[in-house]
Formats: sequence, C-alpha cells, structure tokens
Amino acid sequence: MSTVTALAPPLVRITGASKSFPGVKALDGVDLTIRRGEVHALTGENGSGKSTLARALAGMMPPDAGTIEIDGVVTAIPDPKTALDLGIVLISQELTLAPTLSVAENVFLGRLPRTRFGAIDWPRLREDAQRVLDRLGVHVDVDQRVGDLTLELQQEVEIARAMSTEARLLILDEATSSLSEAATDRLLTMVEEQRDAGVAVLTISHRMPELYRVASVATVLRDGRLMGSYPLPETTEHQLVARMVGRELSDFYGKRAIPIGDVVLEVEDLQTQDGQLRPTSLRVRAGEIVGVAGLVGSGKAELGLALGGAVAARGTVSVRGRTVRLGDPRAARSGGIGFVPDDRKSGAIFPTRSVGENFAAAWIQRFSRGGVVDARAERGAVREAIERYGVVTSSEHQSIATLSGGNQQKVVLGRIFALGLDVLVLSEPTRGVDVGAKAAIYQLMQDAAEQGAAVIVISSELPELLGIADRLLVFSHGTIALAGELVNDAALDEETVAHIAVTGQPPVAAR
Amino acid sequence: MSTQTTTPEDAPPAASRSGATAIAAVLRRSAIGRYAGVLVGLLIVSLYLTITQDTFLTWNNITNIVASNSVILILAIGATFVIISAGIDLSTVSAMAACALVFGLTLEAGWAAPVAIVATVAFGLFIGSLNGFMISKLKISFLVVTLGTLSIFQSFALVVNDGATISVFSTAGFGPIKEFVNGDLGPIPTLMIFDAVLLLVAGGVLRYTSFGRALFAVGSNPEAARLNGVNVAAVLLAVYAIAGLAAGLASVVQVGRLTGASPESDPSMLMTVIAAVLIGGTAYTGGEGGVLGTMIGVLFLGVIQNGLTLSDVSSFWQGMVSGLILIGAVGLGMLRGRGIRIRRSRASTAPGSGGPAPGPA
Repeated sequence: MSTVTALAPPLVRITGASKSFPGVKALDGVDLTIRRGEVHALTGENGSGKSTLARALAGMMPPDAGTIEIDGVVTAIPDPKTALDLGIVLISQELTLAPTLSVAENVFLGRLPRTRFGAIDWPRLREDAQRVLDRLGVHVDVDQRVGDLTLELQQEVEIARAMSTEARLLILDEATSSLSEAATDRLLTMVEEQRDAGVAVLTISHRMPELYRVASVATVLRDGRLMGSYPLPETTEHQLVARMVGRELSDFYGKRAIPIGDVVLEVEDLQTQDGQLRPTSLRVRAGEIVGVAGLVGSGKAELGLALGGAVAARGTVSVRGRTVRLGDPRAARSGGIGFVPDDRKSGAIFPTRSVGENFAAAWIQRFSRGGVVDARAERGAVREAIERYGVVTSSEHQSIATLSGGNQQKVVLGRIFALGLDVLVLSEPTRGVDVGAKAAIYQLMQDAAEQGAAVIVISSELPELLGIADRLLVFSHGTIALAGELVNDAALDEETVAHIAVTGQPPVAAR
Repeated sequence: MSTQTTTPEDAPPAASRSGATAIAAVLRRSAIGRYAGVLVGLLIVSLYLTITQDTFLTWNNITNIVASNSVILILAIGATFVIISAGIDLSTVSAMAACALVFGLTLEAGWAAPVAIVATVAFGLFIGSLNGFMISKLKISFLVVTLGTLSIFQSFALVVNDGATISVFSTAGFGPIKEFVNGDLGPIPTLMIFDAVLLLVAGGVLRYTSFGRALFAVGSNPEAARLNGVNVAAVLLAVYAIAGLAAGLASVVQVGRLTGASPESDPSMLMTVIAAVLIGGTAYTGGEGGVLGTMIGVLFLGVIQNGLTLSDVSSFWQGMVSGLILIGAVGLGMLRGRGIRIRRSRASTAPGSGGPAPGPA
C-alpha cells in the first residue's frame, strides 16, 4: 500500500466492498482510502469494477457488502441525495442534464436562487451561472437550451454544475472522454485548484497522461478485485498497465491454429456520413480473426456499424468480389455480412420474446415459404442452436429476459453464426458477460473462423483481442492508426499495443 | 430420452416431448398465463350471473352477447396488431364511421352486396394505409397521426351525406347482409362463425407467418428488428392497414345490425376496443400479446355490460366499471411482470466502466 500521502487524514475509507450482478461479481472485497487534498486515480480495464465503485460512493448503487467510512464514521449511502448531502459529487460520462431547460437552470438545478417572495431570482441565476462558466472558461450563452448544445459543451455544463457545489469528494468517471484537449486542460486545472483547497478527488480515466498530471496515487482493479495502490508518478505507465491487464489468463482464450484462406472481405475507403469513421481500407481473409482496438470515439464502433449497414456510409465493401450495398442492414446480411451490435439491450435482444423467438428473429426469411413460417423446421433449428451454442435455458420457450447476460449473448451471437455467412463483424462480443461465458464465446468465434468465416472482433477489452486475434488494427481519430500481425510483428508487441490502446498513443520510445 | 415425469422446467432443452410436457408447452405457448387472471375473472362473473340471473346462461342471451360485441371484437382484432407493434390507433372507430357511410352510399346507389362490401373494405384498407404511411414513412408519431385522423375520418363521415343517416333497409343489396348479421347456420349465428374465422385467421397470421414474426420483433425492439433484416416501415404500414381493414369489416356488421349507416359513433366505443385488447394481455409497450386474449377481453367487458343490463343497473355505470376493470387488469399484470423487469434492469446496468457505447451519434 502507498504511504505517499499518509499525512493527510482520510476522508473516505471503503472496506471490503462487494457487489454482484446476475452472473458477474462486479466488486469483490475492495478496500480504498481517499484523503483530503489528494487526487486518487482508479484504474483498470473495462468491466473491472471502477464505475461500480464510483456509483456505490455516489449512492447510485449501494454495495451488497462492505462498509464506507466518512471522517471515520461508518455511513450508509443508500441514494444519490444522501451522497450530495455528504458532499460527494459524481461527474460521469452519462449526462444528467435536463435538455429542454436553459444552461443557467441546469447549472443550478434543484437549488435555484429565490427572491424574498419565493419566486425564482432570474437575474441572479443568470449572473451566478455566468460566473461559474467563466471560471471553467466555457463560452456558452446561459439562456441557451442545453439540448441544442454539442455533446462536449453539455459535458462542460455538467462539470460546471458539479464544480459550483460545495463538494468534499469529487468523483470524475471518464468525465473527459468527450472533451477536447483544451477543455480537458481547463478541467484539470480546476481539479488541481479543488485539490489544493482540500477537496478529495477520485478520478477514473483511460487517458494516462491526465492521471500522471493530477494524481498522486493510483489504485488498480481487475475483475472486481483490488490489485493494489501505487504511488504516482513513481510507478511507471508500463507497470500500471501490466497490473491492469494481467497475463496469467493467456490460455483462457484457447487460441487455435486456423488455416487462413483467400481474401473474403475487401473494404475500400469506407467512411460514415457523420464523420466518426474516416476513410478506412482493410482486407480480411477466410479463417482470419482481426481484432479492432481503440478508445471510445476512435471510430472502431462506427466501422462495425458501417459494415453491418446500420448507419449511412460511403466507400466500397465487397464480399468474395461482390459489392455490398451500404446503409441497409438487409443488404449487408444478404451480401454475406453478419453484424452483432455492441449494445445487447438496445440493438439485439427482443426482451418480451422467448429464447426460441430470439434465435429465430434472424432466420425469418430462411424458414418461411410464401410468407408462412415452417414452425417445425424452425423449432428443430432452435433446439439444435441452443445445444450447439451452449445456452443454459429450461427450454426454448423461456423468456430471454430471465437469462444471464452471458446466455443472452450466446443467443445473439449464435443466431448470426448459424447463418453460415462469409463475414462476421462482432462489436463488443463479450461486454457484460461473465468469465465462463467469455471462454465459451471465444471458442464459438474460432469455430466460425474454422468454418471459413472472416471474423472482425471490435472490442474495448484489450486482453481478449491479444488472446484471440491473428491481426490487430488500432483505431484512433476515426481510422486505423496502427496495424500488424500479432504473432510475428516485433513492432506490435503486447506491451506497445496495450500502451496504445490504454493511452491512445504509442509509448515514448516508439514515438 | 423422454420420461413421463419430466416437467418443462427441468427438461433438457433437446429432449423430445412427452404427453404431459406437450400439454404444458401448448398452454405456455398460447400464453394462457398472461391472461389467466382475466379468464378467472370472466368465469367468476359468469358464474355469479348464472346464479343470480335466470336468463344469463341461455343460448339466446349468449348469442346476443356475441352479436352485440362483434363490432367491438372486429375492431379489437385490428387494434391488437397495432398495439403489438407498440403503437395505438385512436382513429379506428372514426374509420369505421367513415366506412359505414361508404357502405351506406354504395348500397343506396344500388350496388350488389358483395361489391359494396368489397368497396367498403377496400376503402377501410386505404384509409388505414394513410395512417400507416404517415407513421412509417413520414415518421410522424402514431399518437399525432391517429388523433388527427380520428377527427378527419369522423368529419368525413358527416360531410359525405351532410350529417344524415342513410337507411339501407329497403336497398336491393341489404338482403344478404341482413342474413349475414342476423341469420344462423344450423343452430349457430352466422356472425359467431364469422368472428371465429376472423380470430383463427388473425391468430394464424400472428403465429405462423413471417409477417407475424416480424411484427413481434418490431414491437419488442425495433432497432434489433432492423439490424436483423426486418423491414420495419413495411411492418408498421401493414399494421395500420390491417386496422383499417378491420374498420371496414366492422362497418359492414354495424350497418347491417342498425339497418342504416350513421355518421355518429358511440364515444365510449374507442375506450372499449382498446381496453379489451389491454385487458386481454396485449402489452401497450409492444411485442407481446395475441387475439385469443383480445377475445377474452371483449367477452369480459361484454358480459359485464350484459350483466348490468340484466340486473337493471343504469347503463351510466358501465363506463365506471369498464374503467376500473381496465386499470385493475393491466395493473395486476404489471405487478406480476415486475419481478422480471427489475431483474432485467439490474442486469442491464451490470458491470462495466467506460460508460455507454458510442452509438451512431
């Protein structure tokens, strides 16, 4: 444990915090001490439990077990209001603004200044809001509707609101992910001011340089467990990343040697209409698994959406030499591309339907003749698929909503795998899935590759890409920043890739 | 492989089915659980009325209940399709009034019954498609569109004949229509057979056609449906066209029973139609439900009304009772489903840092 800031008294001490979700242990006996006037970095991969811990402190998701002490007193934080009363303020990536209200109203939401008569003091509200925004260097009209602002400005309004409260513990959960460099810089300056004023800060960020600039201690979580707390900047980035990633799981992926065939997928200057994906070209061969890494907003997610026909796009995509029409999921599917979106809940699951119907939803055309579904053949295929893809369910009639995330994901992947398409584009195929189901999904992906599919795996979980892919494409600023063979390419060793994917830029030596 | 004692809950997924599990599976697939409460309620009310009212359980009264609720049932079958798609059609009763006027005018003009019926149903299909076009292609909210057409269709019905009712009793084409709405096939009223056929066809479409599959998918999660190759706009268009078709069919029955085409419609009918669908277990949130439940919902409300009449209770009470039943039935259904829903929402907020996925802007 770190002793770097032992002189400052602890503000918050968490002991043995645990939190379980169906099938997943998000937090497992985590201890954490945050001191006054300290910026404490909480680091770890996606799904390591960082946000769960932050939400527990902010009263949004009380832990199942463990205690939280504030100023040495054991305190329950059952809801966000209690957290705010205690001076705990969370700024997260998920905005909590009221889009139809003005900037000023949002900054002082819930604590609008009143006149003597109890009416809202509009002139003072606008003045105060202006002052708060000026301090942050945000140039925005206080009367503007928040919903009309860009995402970045909305994030800044959210930050302005948090900064204008009397916070004792400020939690930043990926608060900078949608900010520009200049805005990030201003925010970090304010964080330093707050720190020097004695406020405790807990910050979660994938951007290492930010952490090294403001934080004096970093706590690493992995799979919901505490890996340790390390002083900054004494601990190097490489050491931290190694702690976060952990290498002992290498055979968990069960990587097989799969013979690689002809080029199946050819992509020429593919770009999305919204500019999130800039012109990108790539080729994938039969039996090959290509990993796509990158930060949120790097364009990696849009590559999947564009290939799957889910968004409007330009460029050429061809499968086995035949051009696929873009911007239409049906054209993508009939052209031989199977796409599994990253958000299971909003883009893949039919929550009111059974396991069987969730499988069959992708097969409607296949089992219908003249508009009538061959229910018997369909049922047979569903039962076969449940067994083949290892879905744990009482029967095909069970409601999909009652299944664990891992089993739901097996249905979502299985119904696409079963189509025997030439190209599979899988976005975050193991998001929100427990370890056992992950291992099974890696095997299913390799089964598909073995049967000749060209597989693209887009993932925020670097270890899985390193464990499963033959080749890796690292996305940054809307297109491929770095590409290479995982096996032979010396320039793309694991540490370098880990560094690029976690920090968004090559390590100093490689620059 | 199969054992007689295996219950569906612990049966291995691939095991072949024994007799007991087959029955359980049929019950489950017909989703009896979803409207079991309403079915029990219907039986209790019927039992009570059988005991207290001598005339309730007579063939005459039963056929009367069926006949007087056929219009509601036909509209409710159409509304079931719409509500499964997670929409609602507020214009359905107005559409029926508009169709009724078309039917009346064509009969008055001396058209033969089959031709007038085809024209009326085609007109219903057309105005339903107008709703569907604005909702699916122009992407205007279904509430806005059908609230607008509620007014438009009603007004159309008044305008075309200057607000007057058309008496069709003495028209040349009325003979077969009268036979259809009042006649019998053996001991069974023709209308009852027609209703049964309609239920079978609608149920078959929902369960055994690719359109039915696509409809449930769209109602359950339109984005997932789109990504799996479903033509969401076409499904929505078809759904409102079906509601229009139902309005056309209902208008034929309505005109036949009243022996005239009235441009006025009963203001409580829209509530009854939608209430019947919801009471029957079709979720207003979409992706769930069926016409069997709708039939039970229509019968429940119909039996209540019949009971109030037989018991000499003022018809003014009817609306209060229907409203309470609607809120009670849907409320109880939600309580039952809440267990699952909470689990689902917890699972979805499950682990993970890094925030939400970067959606398409």
